[in-house]
Amino acid sequence: MGLVRRKPEPEAEHPKPSVEQLDDPDPEHRRQAALGLEGVAEAVPALLDRVAAEREPQVRDAMLTTLAAVDSPAVAEALAGHLASDDAALRTAVAEALATMPVSVPAIMPGLLTDPDHRVRVMTAMILADLPHPASLMWLSDMIRDDPHPNVVAAAIDALLPSAGPQHAELLRGAARRFPDDPFLRFTVDAALR
Amino acid sequence: MTESPPKVLVVDDAATVRLYHSKLLGDAGFHVAEAANGLEAVEAALTTAFDLFLVDINMPRMNGYTCVETLRSETVGTPAPVVMISTEDRPGDADRAYAAGANLYLVKPVAADRLVRVCRMLTAGRGDAA
Repeated sequence: MGLVRRKPEPEAEHPKPSVEQLDDPDPEHRRQAALGLEGVAEAVPALLDRVAAEREPQVRDAMLTTLAAVDSPAVAEALAGHLASDDAALRTAVAEALATMPVSVPAIMPGLLTDPDHRVRVMTAMILADLPHPASLMWLSDMIRDDPHPNVVAAAIDALLPSAGPQHAELLRGAARRFPDDPFLRFTVDAALR
Repeated sequence: MTESPPKVLVVDDAATVRLYHSKLLGDAGFHVAEAANGLEAVEAALTTAFDLFLVDINMPRMNGYTCVETLRSETVGTPAPVVMISTEDRPGDADRAYAAGANLYLVKPVAADRLVRVCRMLTAGRGDAA
């Protein structure tokens, strides 16, 4: 008597990929796996572990899309650690992802605004430019008023400008006064006030 | 016969930086176009023979390093000089820029007269802006 093949269980309409598929040699399979793992809480650590090492931009973007959808403080904090990365593609992709996480990013914003690395604070201004949160303009204003580095202030002004109004005029003039030897800041403020 | 001024593409996601560099170089006699990220720059380079590229690093969609690599690739193959200009001042940033194909790496802020001088030097013989 031959073996009786057990009738397979009916598959779910869209079965979730496994975490192991994130290591598939085929980038397209990895990308599909990363997107398919959205909503799978157990996959978050695996995605966080792999996002910095992934070399294919499309796969990394898929991982970040899935992680951003989680929008939890742990994910935001882990991703923010990459803002200081030497990998320009990684740090800019992470900044774009964090800008889509309005629930969790506010909790890490105090740390980002006071990060000792001015380059991280420049990236923070990039995040705030797109972060849909009512406090974004306030944080940008804080940077313009208080940050000691002219590049951070310039990035914050650039991020603020699309939403700036007459109420920001004195803030901008104050920035120009703080950095009297920086022609770019002076030009930017003058252009904004025109 | 009148030569046309050198054509410069300013590539930066910050509108204020594009405006500033465009004003500086425009006043110095260059013909200036703008792109807001690396992808836009590559698209522009496919249709226009620029004499100089001024490229930021941290940009969405396509960062500066990838942009310069693409400009130097067979896809675009531009021989025009590239100046990378960024807030990034880590020790390896300049090396990465040169490895990507840049001719010069400058850290912001760059004095206006220095930027114009550099652009004139790199475009010498390519037009009559200088």
